[in-house]
Amino acid sequence: MIEILNTGPLNTIQDIGRPGYRDIGVTASGAMDPMALKIANLLVGNDEGAAAIEVQTFPFRLRFSGATAFAVTGGGRAALDGVSLPPWWSQTAGAGQVLELLPSPASARAYIAFAGGLDVPLVLGSRSTSLRGAFGGIDGRSLTNEDILQLGEPARTVFAADGLGVVPPATALSALFPVAADGTLLVRALPAGEHDLFGADAERFWSQSWKISAQSDRTGYRLSGEPVRPTAPVEMRSYGIVPGVVQVPPGGEPIVQMSDANTAGGYPKIAGVLEADLWRLGQARVGSRLRFVRSSHAEARTLDRAIAAYVDDISNTSQMVARALKTMAGR
Amino acid sequence: MSRVNFGDPAVIASLAAALEAAGVDGIEIEQDARKVRIVIERGILGAVPQVDASQHSSAATHAISVAAPTAGLFCSAHPASVAPPLELPREVVPGEMLGFIRVGPILLPVKASGTGILMRSLAGDGSLVGYGEPLFEIEPCP
Repeated sequence: MIEILNTGPLNTIQDIGRPGYRDIGVTASGAMDPMALKIANLLVGNDEGAAAIEVQTFPFRLRFSGATAFAVTGGGRAALDGVSLPPWWSQTAGAGQVLELLPSPASARAYIAFAGGLDVPLVLGSRSTSLRGAFGGIDGRSLTNEDILQLGEPARTVFAADGLGVVPPATALSALFPVAADGTLLVRALPAGEHDLFGADAERFWSQSWKISAQSDRTGYRLSGEPVRPTAPVEMRSYGIVPGVVQVPPGGEPIVQMSDANTAGGYPKIAGVLEADLWRLGQARVGSRLRFVRSSHAEARTLDRAIAAYVDDISNTSQMVARALKTMAGR
Repeated sequence: MSRVNFGDPAVIASLAAALEAAGVDGIEIEQDARKVRIVIERGILGAVPQVDASQHSSAATHAISVAAPTAGLFCSAHPASVAPPLELPREVVPGEMLGFIRVGPILLPVKASGTGILMRSLAGDGSLVGYGEPLFEIEPCP
C-alpha cells in the first residue's frame, strides 16, 4: 500500500495506454515517456505496461506501508528518507519510508513503478487516467494528498539488495538521439498529408527553432515561433489523429498532439513525429526549444529497433545480475 | 562443504592440472582473508603454473577496503552525471554510494562499508574489475 503525502496538480496513474478505441472517441492516454514507464516496470519485475505514477508537478512525496520494491525513471530527483538516489534507479523501501521527488532540470516527467503494479480497475483494457473522459486511474482524476494506492501481487523476482539502476537512454543511446550544440532538442518527423500545401513556409517549419509554449500539456504541445501558413486556405474534413501528429491551426503556430491527443481534428497536418522520438518530446520542458528534422521510414525503423534492443537488454541483464548477486550473497 | 587447504602444494598441483585439462587459463579463489590465484601459461613447453597466494592480515592495515559487488566496468561517477568528481580524501558514511559497477546497461552501486575517511580509489575509471576486487580504501575514524 502506498500513501500520497504531497502532490501537485495533474499527477496521474498511467500505463502503456488504451489504444483501439479511437473510433468511438476514446483518447489513448498512457505515459508521455513510454520508455521510462517500461523500464521502471521491468526493474521491479512487472510486465512493461503495468500501471505506475506519472509525476509532472513537484515536489511529490509518498509513504510505503510495507517493504516494497520500487523504481524511479525519467526525470525528477528522488530521495528515500532524505538519501538521494541516482537517476533511473530501483530499490526496496522499508515500511514507513518516504520517497520524495523534486524536479530535475533536464526532464519534465518522472515515473514511479512498484512491484506488483498499481491495482486500479481496468477500463477498456487500461489503467491509464483519462482526465478529459474522467475515467481510468482513480475515478478518472489526478492524484491528491492522502490518496491510498493498492498494489498488485509482485512477481517472484529477485531484487538486488543494495539497489540497481540503468544507464539512462539519453546517455546509453546518445548517438541515436542527438541534441543540438545549443541544447535545442532535435525531433525527427516525416512530412504529413498537407505538408506541400505550405509552399515555402514548409521549409521554414523545418529550419526554424520552435519554443514549447506554456499552453502545453498531455493533450498537446503548442509551439511558438514565426508562423507558417498554407499558400491558400485549406478546408478539410476531420480525420483521425494519433500522438505525434503536427497540425497547423490558422494562427500558423504548430500543435504537436501528445498522449491525450484528440481522436479527430481538421487542421492541416504538416508533419508526424517519429514514435521513437515521442518520449523525448514527453520529457521536454515548457519553455525549451526544439527543431524538427526531416527523417525517413528507414531511420524510424532503425530507431525503433535500437529502443527495443536497449529495453530487452535491460530486462535480461537486470535479472541476470540480480540472480548472480543473490548466488554470491548465499555462498 | 569441507574446507580445502590451499596452503598445501599438492592441492595447488592438482588444481593446476585440472585447469590445464579443462583448458581454463586461470582461477582465483578467496577463502576468508586468503586469496589464491593460479595462472596457466600456454604455449610454453613445460611451463610451471604460476601460483600467487596472499594473506591479508587485518592487523597489518587499518583501512577497510570496499570490494566490487560483481564483475563489470568500474564507474567513479554515474554515467549521466555532469557534476565534477568529489576530491579525496573525504568523509564517508556507511551506505554512501562511492561509485558504480556497470554490466551492459545495468548499474550496481558500490557503497561505503563503514564510517571513515575515503583515502584512495584503487580502480581506474572505466576499467574492468573482478568480483570482490578492492575498489576503495576507507580509513576508519578513531
